Amino acid sequence: MSSKSPAPRPAFDPSGPRPAPPPSALPSTFNFPREYAYPPFYSLQPTLLTRSAQLRKWSALIQSYCRFHRIYRLSLIDAVDTPLFHNASIKKRLRLEDVRVVVTWMAGEEGGWRAEWVDGGGVGKGKIDGGGAVWVWWRRPEEWADVIAAWVEETGQRGVVLTLWELSQGAGSKGQEFHGMDPEVLQRSLNVLVKRGKAQIFGEEDEQGVKFF
Amino acid sequence: MFFQPVELTTALRPLLLPDEILLFVQDAVGLYEGKYKIPSMQDGHAYLTSHRACYVDKAEPRKNSVAVELKNVDKYEFYARFLKSSPKISLYPKPTRGSVAPSRNHSAASTQRAQAYLRSSAASPSPRGTSPFDQPSQRSSSPGTSSVTWICQICAQPNQLPPRFDASTASVHTSLAPCSTCGVKPSLAQILKAAISTASGRQAAKPTEPPSQPLLESHRQTLSSLSGEEKLLASASPPNTGSSFQCPRCTFLNHPSLPNCELCGASLVSIDLKGQIEDDDTIQRPESPGPTMVNQSFDFNDDPEYIKLSFRCGGDKIFHERLKGAMLQRKWLLQNAPPVPRPDQSLGRAPDHVHNQNRQADGTPPLERSKIVGIAGLERRGLELRKNNEVVLNNAFEDLEALMASAKDVVALAEQFAKKAPESGSEAADALLESATALGMVTTKDMLGSSAGSETLYLSELSRNVAEYLTDDAKGILRKEGGIMSLVDLWAVFNRARGGVELISPTDFEKAARLWGRLNLPVRLRQFKNGLLVVQRHDWTDDKTIAQLLDWLQELHISPPSSEVFWSWETFGRGVTAQEAAQRFGWSIGVATEELEMAEENGALCREESVEGLRFWENWITEEGDTGKTTLDIDPETLAVTRNLVDLGLW
Repeated sequence: MSSKSPAPRPAFDPSGPRPAPPPSALPSTFNFPREYAYPPFYSLQPTLLTRSAQLRKWSALIQSYCRFHRIYRLSLIDAVDTPLFHNASIKKRLRLEDVRVVVTWMAGEEGGWRAEWVDGGGVGKGKIDGGGAVWVWWRRPEEWADVIAAWVEETGQRGVVLTLWELSQGAGSKGQEFHGMDPEVLQRSLNVLVKRGKAQIFGEEDEQGVKFF
Repeated sequence: MFFQPVELTTALRPLLLPDEILLFVQDAVGLYEGKYKIPSMQDGHAYLTSHRACYVDKAEPRKNSVAVELKNVDKYEFYARFLKSSPKISLYPKPTRGSVAPSRNHSAASTQRAQAYLRSSAASPSPRGTSPFDQPSQRSSSPGTSSVTWICQICAQPNQLPPRFDASTASVHTSLAPCSTCGVKPSLAQILKAAISTASGRQAAKPTEPPSQPLLESHRQTLSSLSGEEKLLASASPPNTGSSFQCPRCTFLNHPSLPNCELCGASLVSIDLKGQIEDDDTIQRPESPGPTMVNQSFDFNDDPEYIKLSFRCGGDKIFHERLKGAMLQRKWLLQNAPPVPRPDQSLGRAPDHVHNQNRQADGTPPLERSKIVGIAGLERRGLELRKNNEVVLNNAFEDLEALMASAKDVVALAEQFAKKAPESGSEAADALLESATALGMVTTKDMLGSSAGSETLYLSELSRNVAEYLTDDAKGILRKEGGIMSLVDLWAVFNRARGGVELISPTDFEKAARLWGRLNLPVRLRQFKNGLLVVQRHDWTDDKTIAQLLDWLQELHISPPSSEVFWSWETFGRGVTAQEAAQRFGWSIGVATEELEMAEENGALCREESVEGLRFWENWITEEGDTGKTTLDIDPETLAVTRNLVDLGLW
């Protein structure tokens, strides 16, 4: 991929979905925000105002990082060693407990429900033994549903039956943001459409198909 | 000029002159000029020092404070408590040189002024009090006075009825002013009798002319020595059957003029008097019989005949005692006195610097001094100095008298020792060593009057004392400690400065410190989140501290950190520890920690916890600006210049 101008870091706007940028525009490496190189960023702040600003920035960082790397599901115990939480250049890392705090915050109302514990809401909260894995909703299922619906509309595939595999891996969806999507996330996003009455899912376990209205 | 203005310290206490010693302090004191109250000076502190007697007003200390130099005081008199009249101490000024009959002039002046005087309570027109002192002159200057004089049956003091008093309309309900000396109200019958006798001819009044002064004095003394009740029984007229007063405790019907119940001793307040007292909340004492001067602004140039200090809450006896001592010692004479002569047993060998100066001033050259030079000379000088110190100390401690006499030398010596003591790190420690300089600054419990509010007086005096100590520019305690210091440290320094005597208990100290705010002193006590109490300048705020901290952190953007760091210090500067802050601002570690946390809570700083400890950084987390903004508000050019300077080692 060509690296255009050293673009500013992909600031993520958590307020809502927006059209996916063309993949070619993505820089080859993830640009970390300025705070990433700021040592106090890795210590949870006790002061309320500072703390909420810190959590907000961490949340934004996690979302944009996951978006860049197309990560839908984050296993915390593995993630703490990735560059996301570990800045090797300044020898600082966010500790696992603090990662949990951040994720918990993201999963709550304050964080805009931008994360969700994989094994059920809130269960992972108390877990210390590394069980915690989270969905990182850099796009929530509802938002994915909108994106997919828009794409279907655009490509005139209304009334066409598509398999889930086609949707996420097929050649037709190549270049779309949801290409290569986690099947479970896809399932949930389609369920949203079903609820809205805009799609219907049928078929067996592996051979599921979806029809858009 | 008898009255002198008082220079007050920051803590609103009289500024002591060199060599002046504070002897006594008493609160709730009122000031009289002549026999009239000065209206603006009725509630204040009386400070007795070795040189002066000062009145410092409580409400408006800067405006209404005066001092009287004891050297201008001719004599002083003490009046014991007399019925409702508070104990008083009168100070008579020395007659001014040149005027032939000063007392006469004064009396005439005061008589004239007396026309402008009125009774303090407008509700009760009262007799214009006359004192035995200006009685003769008054009579001579205004012979045709038509006012009615009545003689108090209790103390035989002649009192005058107000000119408005009309015998024909007077009834039981007419309020009558009490006797100006003893405060006991006359009965109506008595007043009427006096009025009639005056009206029928001035001859009738003659037999009841007041006794001469010595007689009155002796009478007063006997009166005060007798117990009040017996006295009253002996001299009071037969009970007035019409207006007996029921004791609230035992229901015994007492004579209305009795202050205490005859049977059970409960204090009685006569019915009409009670109302007056309840109305007047500010002064919590029985109505004072003394008249107040009205429409008369206080004037420093007035030379009063005499002044009186009225002690409403006690303390009079000790004040009198110490005044007596001060008048005997006459410390003011010593101000320029030559040093105390001392045995000069080692003529050529042991002269100290004082002696040398004296001798050189006398024109006598030091004998063999100049002859010995080099190391031998230095050694000789050291030896001489030690010898001399020994002599001074020996003389001083021989007995107490000698110590007092050579106090100056000893203090000077102690100061020298203090300076020679090994350099210690903390400035506070240096202050400790200067304890000798603080010998004169003690407020001790025994210097204060005993009164109902004696504890509060002690605390407020202590509070002022500490505030003075803190703000004293010469010592600069607070400044050296970076403008802030913990209360515990201050307590230690202060107690050490007292030289190990009259130490202050921590509770008293804390209480005194808490009074700063109420007394409007220039220091304040501040409590940190975790309960640490610190002392600060009054005008020093958190914002100023934060600005100070941020300035410092800004500097760290420019000067490279001492050791290599991994982050871009040009962007973020670097984190600081409490130790560094303490070092930089001269704070103690505890204070530094608290200040940093305060700034953190404020949002100006944020923390970095690591294995190396806690560091505080400029807060970039709450900064909403994104990558566009690089570092600080300094424009790049300045930055480059400064950096060059840093490189050249000029910064």
